[in-house]
Amino acid sequence: MKIVGVAACTVGIAHTYIAQEKLENAAKKAGYDIHVETQGTIGIENKLTQEQIDAADVVILAVDVKISGRERFEGKKIVQVPTEVAVKSPNKLIQKVTEVVEAQ
Amino acid sequence: MQKIKQLNLKGHLLTAISYLIPIVCGAGFMIAIGMAFGGEPSTDLLAGSYSIWDVLAVIGGLGLGMLPVVISTGISYSIAEKPGIAPGFIIGLLARTIEAGFIGGILGGFVAGYLVIGILRFLKVPAWAKGLMPTLIIPLLSTFLGGLIMIYVIGTPITLFTDALTNLLNGLGSSSLLIFGAVVGLLSGVDYGGPINKTVFAFVLTLQAEGLNGPITALQLVNTATPIGFGLAFFVAKLFGKTIYSPVEIETLKTAVPMGVVNIVEGVIPIVMNDIFRGVFATAVGGAVGGAVSMSLGADATVPFGGVLMIPTMSRPMAGILALLANIVVTAVVLALIKKNVTEESINAQLDAEEEDIDLGDIQIS
Repeated sequence: MKIVGVAACTVGIAHTYIAQEKLENAAKKAGYDIHVETQGTIGIENKLTQEQIDAADVVILAVDVKISGRERFEGKKIVQVPTEVAVKSPNKLIQKVTEVVEAQ
Repeated sequence: MQKIKQLNLKGHLLTAISYLIPIVCGAGFMIAIGMAFGGEPSTDLLAGSYSIWDVLAVIGGLGLGMLPVVISTGISYSIAEKPGIAPGFIIGLLARTIEAGFIGGILGGFVAGYLVIGILRFLKVPAWAKGLMPTLIIPLLSTFLGGLIMIYVIGTPITLFTDALTNLLNGLGSSSLLIFGAVVGLLSGVDYGGPINKTVFAFVLTLQAEGLNGPITALQLVNTATPIGFGLAFFVAKLFGKTIYSPVEIETLKTAVPMGVVNIVEGVIPIVMNDIFRGVFATAVGGAVGGAVSMSLGADATVPFGGVLMIPTMSRPMAGILALLANIVVTAVVLALIKKNVTEESINAQLDAEEEDIDLGDIQIS
């Protein structure tokens, strides 16, 4: 499965990046291909390319605030959670996402 | 309840705060540096005689004075995207002018944003007028209605409420300050920069915008002290002949402690997650002590972020230092006392530790 995601927290210096790392590790552990863009105070890093988005089966948004470029994911299956969930339970989240995608 | 949750009021407020923080930090440091060297934020720069410190203080003062505008614009943008910016800006400025303050700015932002959404949803125009919607109809109608609502409906009650709140908190005696500080500290200490912490942050930031620097200082000192307390606990525990961290946790601490020094509490989350009850208990106790000391001694940073960098901006730097030390030591000692000795077995057990269950209410699928 291919996943793209965006992580963004309120202050944009810590949770954003912890969520990114946790999601990446959890997805890799499950054998999935994942790219996570961060939208922190510093701006957008690790920006998703259009090819990555097109190829993705599902979009994970671990966000506490409004993100920019949400329209890029229009028509895609989107799973949105607070950053909290990605930080605390990344493996369970990935598992849940798997169920969502398989249920289609 | 479900309906209210869908509106995501808190998400919009947090989005606006995320835009606000860099402005508060930039302006806050300017005014702090300027005033520390004798600058005066109300200097008239057109009069011709002023020092560089006056200039810095004026820049900072102007920035901080714009907070109601920034929060209003941010909220309105978060709700209605680009069309929300114009009414949010103007209504925020109005809130500032009628001294409805930061709370006025917050409410004004919500009013502006939802007016735009409402206009977009309910006002249907013929095809030839489509071009007029973003350029004329939405800005005009939303600003007109929002402005009237601000002045004639919500302005006066908010101003009264803000004044009452400010007077109440300014008039608190030392024992009430102690309790208020302890509550702020306790609440900030329990979730490491998570939702509770951010909610308290929004509240104390509101107070700071009204000129009360104490509560936000207490909160941020607690956030600064918590990770340092985790670091110190390692050494305190050694005194008791205990090892309370696994090798992985010690590695985590090497980045979490320096992050804590500059006010980033989140670094300790991985360690807390391994032993959630004891970790939260220790930081809550330490936070309550730190908050109480901070408020009762009157630590009052003008900058709401920066960890130890906030100390020079206080009128009583010693108060801030004492609060930090008290919080660090208490958190460290409590952790050292209640955390279990780490052995090979327990490290392995930790690796297989179950993750917290996901609250399905937190997940939105679309």
